Amino acid sequence: MSRPTDLVQGTLDLLVLKMLALQPMHGWAIGERIKQMSKDILQVGPGSLYPALHRLEGAGWISAEWSVSEDKRRVKFYSITKEGRKRLRQEAADWKRLSGAISSIVFES
Amino acid sequence: MRVLRSLRLRLTWLFRRSEVETDLSDELQDYIERQTERHVASGLSPESARLAALRDAGGIEQVKEECRDARGTAWIENTLQDIRFGWRMLRKKPGFTIVAVLTLALGIGATTAIFSVVKAVLLAPLPYKEPNRIVAVWTANPARDNQPHSSTAGDFAAWKQRSGVFEDLAPSYDDEKTLTGEGAPQLLIGYAVSANYLRILGVEPQIGRLYTDQEDRPGVPKVALLSDHLWRTTFHSDPNITGRAITLNGSPYTVLGVMPRGFNYPTTVEVWTPAAMTTASFDDFNHKYVRILGRLRRGVTLTEAQRAINMLEAEVAAAHPDTDTGNRVVLVPLREQLDGDIRKPLLILLSAVGLVLLIACANTAGLALARNAERQKEIGVRLALGATRLRLLRQFAAESLLLATIGGAAGMLLALAGTHLLLMLFPNDVANLNIPKVTQIPMDRGVFLFAAAITLLTALLFGIAPILNAMGSKGGSAMKEPARGSAASAWSSRSRSALVVVEVALSLMLLTGAGLVVASFNKVMNANLGFQPDHVLALEIFLPPNRYPGNDPGKTRALIANVVRKMNVIQGVESAAATNYLPLSGFWGTTAFLLRGQPPPKEGQGPQADNRVLTPNYLHTMKIPLLRGRAFTDADRSGGAQVAMINETLAKRYFHDSDPVGQELNLGTAGKPDWWRIVGVAGDVKAFGQDQPTHADIYRPFDQYPFSIIAFTLRMDTDPAAMMKVAEQALWSVDPDLAIFKSIPMDLLASQTLAVRRASSTLISGFAILALALACIGIYGVMAYAVVQRTQEIGVRMALGAQRADVLRMILGFGFRMTLAGVVIGLAGALAFSRLLASLLFQVSALNPLIFSFASVVLVGMALLASFLPARRATRIDPMQALRAE
Repeated sequence: MSRPTDLVQGTLDLLVLKMLALQPMHGWAIGERIKQMSKDILQVGPGSLYPALHRLEGAGWISAEWSVSEDKRRVKFYSITKEGRKRLRQEAADWKRLSGAISSIVFES
Repeated sequence: MRVLRSLRLRLTWLFRRSEVETDLSDELQDYIERQTERHVASGLSPESARLAALRDAGGIEQVKEECRDARGTAWIENTLQDIRFGWRMLRKKPGFTIVAVLTLALGIGATTAIFSVVKAVLLAPLPYKEPNRIVAVWTANPARDNQPHSSTAGDFAAWKQRSGVFEDLAPSYDDEKTLTGEGAPQLLIGYAVSANYLRILGVEPQIGRLYTDQEDRPGVPKVALLSDHLWRTTFHSDPNITGRAITLNGSPYTVLGVMPRGFNYPTTVEVWTPAAMTTASFDDFNHKYVRILGRLRRGVTLTEAQRAINMLEAEVAAAHPDTDTGNRVVLVPLREQLDGDIRKPLLILLSAVGLVLLIACANTAGLALARNAERQKEIGVRLALGATRLRLLRQFAAESLLLATIGGAAGMLLALAGTHLLLMLFPNDVANLNIPKVTQIPMDRGVFLFAAAITLLTALLFGIAPILNAMGSKGGSAMKEPARGSAASAWSSRSRSALVVVEVALSLMLLTGAGLVVASFNKVMNANLGFQPDHVLALEIFLPPNRYPGNDPGKTRALIANVVRKMNVIQGVESAAATNYLPLSGFWGTTAFLLRGQPPPKEGQGPQADNRVLTPNYLHTMKIPLLRGRAFTDADRSGGAQVAMINETLAKRYFHDSDPVGQELNLGTAGKPDWWRIVGVAGDVKAFGQDQPTHADIYRPFDQYPFSIIAFTLRMDTDPAAMMKVAEQALWSVDPDLAIFKSIPMDLLASQTLAVRRASSTLISGFAILALALACIGIYGVMAYAVVQRTQEIGVRMALGAQRADVLRMILGFGFRMTLAGVVIGLAGALAFSRLLASLLFQVSALNPLIFSFASVVLVGMALLASFLPARRATRIDPMQALRAE
């Protein structure tokens, strides 16, 4: 289990936005998808994931809707909003710059 | 778009809570189910798979709480919830709530009420132009105990010329006027002020205009300005009043205007006329009648001005030692001048009531601590169930705030009901008190804000201890251990003991303070006035100079003789007499005197005595003792040998051991002597108030020294108030056009003179009793709780053979130790507090050992009484039951 402190502050928001930009999904699926796409390196626990979803919803980057999933369960589907996409582009650019800068320092020589 | 959606979402979260909560549960339930399925798939039994899923979530309630926090509306929801929760807790313990609210209401109410007076009087904005720069300028002389008094016109002219610190300086003097031709003749408190005097104050009339420097000269047509009160009453708010001719003291005056309603400097003045100082008067260094008002130059502070004047005076005195009169200039800021004798009592009352508020806070804190100690387990459970410490802290804060708000609101109501009682500090019909005129104490926004501020402050003060205490408890341990064993509860009982010590200390401060003030008041009440005020009626008049001119004293003589004769024969009157200045009334004029054979002193430096005039029967009527020689008789008439009496103070101060009777006083000057033979010595009379020192007095017979200020005094065998009409008729039967300034029974005058002292004494006693009662409640609460806490311990002790008396001694001993600690600290505080009280003390030392020990004994006694009930309850504990209880 990865506690929120293990992820760089704000990275979780970026990951969640990115996942939802691919397609709308429910909470569990987002966590699974992150895990899968990171090849099991990143594991987001419910203690960080669900508060993050609520925070993003409150900020208006994502919206939520109750619906029925492919396995016929009533789930809360999250999807990214137009402003959320803009936000994602901006955060992704920021992340690229930041991680590039850190890498260039750490892996130099 | 985003903002709108976000707002709509937040509103949903706020107002459809149950729905949102269900959603949250469902969402997390979905997670648990899926995680459980996964664990089952990996081979766990359904039961252990579910437990593993819950463990993975890290506490489902904690996740929920974090989701709620993440929404950003959590704080509103939580606050509402906290308030609802606090309200439920308060309702669950009505006893605690009622005592706490009452305690806070009394503390906040009393403080707000006193503050409303302070604000209305000491903090009210002055309706003058840049009032900070306006000062009253007084003369002080070591020969007159350095008490500030009026100056001579010569001094005024000199100061105006050379001081350098004043932008402007203006003279004024008392000038009573009789108004005729507007219904019944009316005696008006008049004030003669120079034209620039009103400009210094910066007031503008509400109708008409001020007078100019040209109109403020001797010999020009006379003009007058009316007070708002006079204009509304006598002149029926006549809008065309300006230019109207009125008759004052028999002379025509033109009304120039009406001063604004709030303008009352000096207080009670009805008509202002030009001072019209003559150039010749500026050479007069003998008559001290000029009251001076000045405006300091911009940028000059009061201290700088006073220092500059002191230096200048020292220079002049050094350069001309032969003409130095020893007079010094005293600058008094306008604000202090207006506040007069009420300032210090008010500040003392404010600090006293502040102590009461502190005690109320300590009391509530103690109660809250005791109650929260009972909730130790509940708090532990809630921490274990996922409540964050921050959330608990907010809940306690909400509870404290709720309690304080209810207490504060109740306190505001108390204050509203109480302020009119505080008006007793301002008896406006009493002319001999130097206090501002206050007819109402408004409960305005400022007072409301103050009440709100101290409510918040009290919430902080009494709320902080329980919060700290609760935060000290650990989730797990509180659940496992019984409350008696935990470290948190030891901390809690220590802090409760500390609060009791604080309460006892504060109460002792107030109790000693009140003791000192009440003892002083009793001393003043029982001070020997030098005369018997009961059954005496006094009638004060001022003779209008146009009909009773100074150069024709025969008329005055005849009037006094006739009126006294008429009054003497009134049914029920034992004897009637007259004097110029009534005792206790504070008016005075002085006369310089020389003893025979004494070398003439420098001008203005000779001995002075208060100048009093009497009719023969006066000592007898007032029951003033005759110590030596004889009183005046009807034989002491004009044209006969000039005779005088002196009072005991003058006899002791200037004749020491020799017999003054038969000696002579020169009441003229060295060059132009005017000899009066002393025929008798009278006992001292309190002329300025029960708590004021007596001056040296010289009495002369009215017939030999006619005076235009007259107070008739009548001793009777009935209620003097009932005889007022008859006495006035007797006066008017001699002269129907005389205006009566005041008729008043002397004992009422004596009582009114003490109004401020009585009111402050009553209030401070009330505060002390309140403090004592609150401290008793506090001690009782803490002791009662301690007994409950120690039930098991006591049970064990009794099972092991402790007697009931031992238990009683143990509990009382605990209470006694706390009280004793409080008394020791309180005595130190009381020493500091009593110094503050100095201005309210009279012939009682601020360190009076009797009062200090009495207050301590009372407090210890009350504290023991408050601990006795819980202690007795402790002795009735059944050991078996106590041990079984856990």
